[in-house]
Amino acid sequence: MPTLTIDNQQVTVPDGNTVFEAAEQLGIVVPHFCYHHALGAVGACRMCAVTVVEGSMPGMKMSCMTPAEEGMVVETGTAQAEGFREHVGEWLMTNHPHDCPVCDEGGECQLQEMTIASGHGLRNYRGNKRTYQNQDLGPYVAQEMNRCIQCYRCVRTYQDYCGGRDFGAMGSRQRVFFGRFRDGMLESDFSGNIVDVCPTGVLTDKTFRFKTRLWDLEQAPSICPHCSLGCATVPGGRYRELQRVVSGVNLQTNGHFICDRGRFGSGYVNHPARPRHARAGGSRVSVTDAVDSLLRRISETVSQHGPEAVAMVGSGRASLEANLLLRQWAAELNCPPPVFELHPRRARAIRQTVGTLSDHLASLRQVRKSDLVVVFGADPLAEAPMLALALRQVVRAGGRVVVLDPRPVELPCEFEHHPLTQEKILCLLAGNCEKELFNRLLQDLMAARRPVLVGGGDLLGGVGLQLLGHLTESCDNDDRYCLVHPLLPQANSFGAGLLEGPEQTDLLERLESGRVRALICLESDPCSEHPEAGRMQLAISRLDYLAVFDYLPTHATKRADLLLPTTTPVEGDGVFINNEGRMQAFARVLQPGVPLAVTGQGNHPPREFVPATPGCHPRPAWQLLQQVLGDERTLHGLRQAAAEHESRLEGLSDLQPGGEGLRVMPSSQAPVEESTVEIWSQDGDLRLLPVQVRYGSDHASCLSDKLTPRMTGPQLIVHPQEAEKRQLKAGETVLLKTAQGTFRFPLACDERVVRGRVIVPCLPGTPLEILVPGGLSLPCEIEGEAP
Amino acid sequence: MSLWRDIKGTLQPFWITLCKMLSRPVTVQYPEQKQQMTPRYRGRLMLTRDPDGQERCVACHLCSAACPVDCISMQATEAEDGRRYAAWFRINFTRCIFCGLCTEACPTLAIQVTGEFELAGRDPLKLVWEKEDLLVDHGGHDPDYNFYRQAGIAVAAPRGANPTESPPVDPKGLLP
Ligand code: SF4
Ligand code: SF4
Ligand code: SF4
Ligand code: SF4
Ligand code: FES
Repeated sequence: MPTLTIDNQQVTVPDGNTVFEAAEQLGIVVPHFCYHHALGAVGACRMCAVTVVEGSMPGMKMSCMTPAEEGMVVETGTAQAEGFREHVGEWLMTNHPHDCPVCDEGGECQLQEMTIASGHGLRNYRGNKRTYQNQDLGPYVAQEMNRCIQCYRCVRTYQDYCGGRDFGAMGSRQRVFFGRFRDGMLESDFSGNIVDVCPTGVLTDKTFRFKTRLWDLEQAPSICPHCSLGCATVPGGRYRELQRVVSGVNLQTNGHFICDRGRFGSGYVNHPARPRHARAGGSRVSVTDAVDSLLRRISETVSQHGPEAVAMVGSGRASLEANLLLRQWAAELNCPPPVFELHPRRARAIRQTVGTLSDHLASLRQVRKSDLVVVFGADPLAEAPMLALALRQVVRAGGRVVVLDPRPVELPCEFEHHPLTQEKILCLLAGNCEKELFNRLLQDLMAARRPVLVGGGDLLGGVGLQLLGHLTESCDNDDRYCLVHPLLPQANSFGAGLLEGPEQTDLLERLESGRVRALICLESDPCSEHPEAGRMQLAISRLDYLAVFDYLPTHATKRADLLLPTTTPVEGDGVFINNEGRMQAFARVLQPGVPLAVTGQGNHPPREFVPATPGCHPRPAWQLLQQVLGDERTLHGLRQAAAEHESRLEGLSDLQPGGEGLRVMPSSQAPVEESTVEIWSQDGDLRLLPVQVRYGSDHASCLSDKLTPRMTGPQLIVHPQEAEKRQLKAGETVLLKTAQGTFRFPLACDERVVRGRVIVPCLPGTPLEILVPGGLSLPCEIEGEAP
Repeated sequence: MSLWRDIKGTLQPFWITLCKMLSRPVTVQYPEQKQQMTPRYRGRLMLTRDPDGQERCVACHLCSAACPVDCISMQATEAEDGRRYAAWFRINFTRCIFCGLCTEACPTLAIQVTGEFELAGRDPLKLVWEKEDLLVDHGGHDPDYNFYRQAGIAVAAPRGANPTESPPVDPKGLLP
């Protein structure tokens, strides 16, 4: 821990830190380009010059390359260092096109900032400027190569950190070029990050092209709602339109980067079909009238049919506060506690995570730092994309990644894939089959210094995660824990699971029995989330009363007798709890409303004055529920009460949006043992496995038009031998026969798929949406279309 | 002594008034008689065109950032040829304080002051001017400047063909 003096201020830094990092700790920002927190220093730009007055090597040094030493004295403002930096600034600008007015980086350009910081003002060089031809890098990233300063940050991000292979540096001398070999869409699922790291306007967000300058953008720290990892994001919008999402910084979760699903999947906020008005019995009403009519109908139902006749559904999409208030409402009405996850098998997976696994959970940072990660039944790029990036960091640091999964798993790094069926994985975890592989893994896990097990909640279910819990415990030793990183279905699944009471009978059975007369759904859609979608739709159509609080257009909002529009996470405040039990607060970015581009028909804003913003009725679900309950506490008061009442939520009221978040306390209850071990083997027949895919499987990203170019249409994937056995060829349209119905889809073959399984993507909004992931594989048959 | 000063103070104004009564008046009979404003007078704003007759404004948001009363708003968009321009551009002259800071901020010399100051009216909405109202068909005080011919972006000329630019390099070339 050396102590050094920089600009007459003393600072003590951890061993191995550089002078640059030490200065940063003091709040002194040395001008720099090639240094980046996540990428480290390479000493390429020569911008960060400082003078070492005392130390083992005195003189002018690059601060990002100079290790901090005990007793070192450093000056950042000497004439020598400043003069050098000014020259470097001038050299970097010799070829610059000076087109800030039309450059999307303007206002948030590190080149602008560092040029000012370096003191360079007038261009003395009189020669011609070098120019480049630009490339078309696809619909997400715009390129304007003339602005490049050759800092190599993009390549270090795209290739080194994210494992992309189709973008790199080309050419030599004055011609160094950063792009693809040919025009075309960037293939990496993390391509948007090069926009964030490029310090100039070479790489900018094409979906945000010419939309808004930073100083006009409304921004706030938020949490990505597209998977359970809870990455930090900073969404930005203007004129009531959410225009872009950039990565936030949370070293415990995502670090500095986010995936393209999170970055470009925000179109649901501006979606024209979003519910914008409260509706009761088919006609528009005010929010107050809607709440009154809701209260009246529910109290009628309770008095006529008893409290048992009211059922409530919370969700992993709604904030913790809203779910808490829903539970409070149920308690006040004395009706059964809300169901927080409609899919019974997914609910059991969440229950295991929240309970049994809660003292062994690994953060994404711990995954990155691990030396051996074994993934059981998860496809990281589809279920939790940033986990794939974390796995790459494991491999880059010399660690190993082993994946056991029936799907054709792809990762941006080298890994060992064992294609095993879902049942085989469960059986292996129970120690009943694949013993050789199991023993080998066990040995490696015992020997590893920081082992982490990743468990896909969808494939493993409650039983699998419980077995995974036993496995971690057996791999623990005196020096360290073996940690688990479970993947859950939604952004706040953990938070919703935390509020779940004792296991109840499946909601579908309760609905079908006819005892339930009124159903209240909080940001959930039973018709597309329950595994028996067809039966669920029928049961719902027989209800007396369906009240829905939601911000997405769903089957439930269409059928609702009473609809209360809520705000999306970017239009309200709240807390989500991610898959490792980290409570994270998000803040409001925009006020809800129909985007100006829609109301002004793109021409110019309307020329009349209206007192209310069009489409401003949605309110945060917790506010609506407070109105229902006559509760007048502030959000802070609400959180404070929750933290006092629920010991696991300690510290909830101190959360700040944009912070690192806080882990919930581990569960003190005895572990939940599940009796039904759903293990059996079905070798020989063909079974169907509905799974999530990278783009379009979550309810929000399927409504984002920006993601359309990345979406793969519905298709069935089988092992080539299965296709051959049935005389089918890849690419042809086949009939898929299941208990849920017959579908026609193109067939794809992949060697990496396990034999005997048909992999089918779940895509809400298409006929495939009734095949909800999270269950066990279903019997099915595929055959060629009758000629 | 102070008595003498008081007498002088009483009589002098009458003397001055008498003198002025006999000289020519400087009053301009506005509005019958229009005044020619000096070129640097800061009146109503306009959006000028470049020597090629194209809109100069690139919707860079610098004027709206500089404006102390926030009366400028706009939306940028892109034309087929890559030109950035304002899809709409609005100045609310009921708020404008005619400080001219926007014209100082403008990097393309698009927004300029005019000598016009007769903006009074009964309908405030008439003072909310859109791009069509603001655009003129000349270059104002600086008729020769063309931003797209100075900046290294291929709109007015092909890539690498603006003055002080070399033709595009070939990054795949092997020669040293
Ligand atoms: S990269 Fe920065 S300095 Fe260069 S044109 Fe864009 S905003 Fe201006
Ligand atoms: S494209 Fe951007 S990040 Fe890449 S080298 Fe050029 S300036 Fe640096
Ligand atoms: S003159 Fe001043 S107040 Fe008027 S638009 Fe320009 S900057 Fe704003
Ligand atoms: S500063 Fe000039 S170019 Fe930029 S938006 Fe205003 S008028 Fe247009
Ligand atoms: S930041 Fe140190 S050399 Fe680039």
